[in-house]
Amino acid sequence: MTRTDKMTCPSCRVEMNHHSDKLVYTVEPQDIGQADPGLGGFIEELHTCPNCGGAASRLA
Amino acid sequence: MEADRPLFIPVILGTARMGRMSLHAAQLVTGELSKCAGVETDLIDIAKLPLPTNDAGEAIKHADFSAKMIKADALVVVSPEYNHGYSGLLKHVLDSCLKEYIHKAVGIVGVSAGPFGGTRVIQNLLPVMRELGLVTIFWDVNFSSVQKVFTEDGRLLDESYIRRIDKFLKELIWMAKTLRQGRARISID
Repeated sequence: MTRTDKMTCPSCRVEMNHHSDKLVYTVEPQDIGQADPGLGGFIEELHTCPNCGGAASRLA
Repeated sequence: MEADRPLFIPVILGTARMGRMSLHAAQLVTGELSKCAGVETDLIDIAKLPLPTNDAGEAIKHADFSAKMIKADALVVVSPEYNHGYSGLLKHVLDSCLKEYIHKAVGIVGVSAGPFGGTRVIQNLLPVMRELGLVTIFWDVNFSSVQKVFTEDGRLLDESYIRRIDKFLKELIWMAKTLRQGRARISID
């Protein structure tokens, strides 16, 4: 499920751009609960600040 | 502003073998990159990265290497071809990061003692780059019979490589600029 709340750049306080969803395959036992059974892993969202270029990520 | 920041394009030297001729290729590409306007570069020698070998993947992330990958807009990977493949240590290093690479350009330089200029190692690296989230360019640089291209102390003997590297870097820089804009401005939603 896609998150709709926007990430904010910790340096500039501007809204970051969500530019990618990366499927990360689960290998650690403690992460298995986070895996989407349909995808076989979990989605990590990648965000970039349009002002400073800073990058951030979070689990979808 | 982000658009005013110089592009950062480090060169990764993908072998730790003693006597590696790929060092000369990596130094040459780094030198040509440093001449490009609006580009900063750095030569990352994987032999100097103190990564443990009793674990792998992001669990062994090296802070300095990770920071350089976060800062990078594109990468150049210089890889020799060993038994048709890349070095195990190069894969070990590349696998230590993931989100740092997403939507960034990569160009591959193949090096071999034989006549094929690392074409097979480049082909083997392409699916790895793709899964890491990197965007490969369609120009490569192939150093064939590398022992004839450089002297033992690294002097270039075949100037035709300068033009090939120039074409390779122009494409890489274009892709780096485009992807920087995409990461910052174009939403996936």
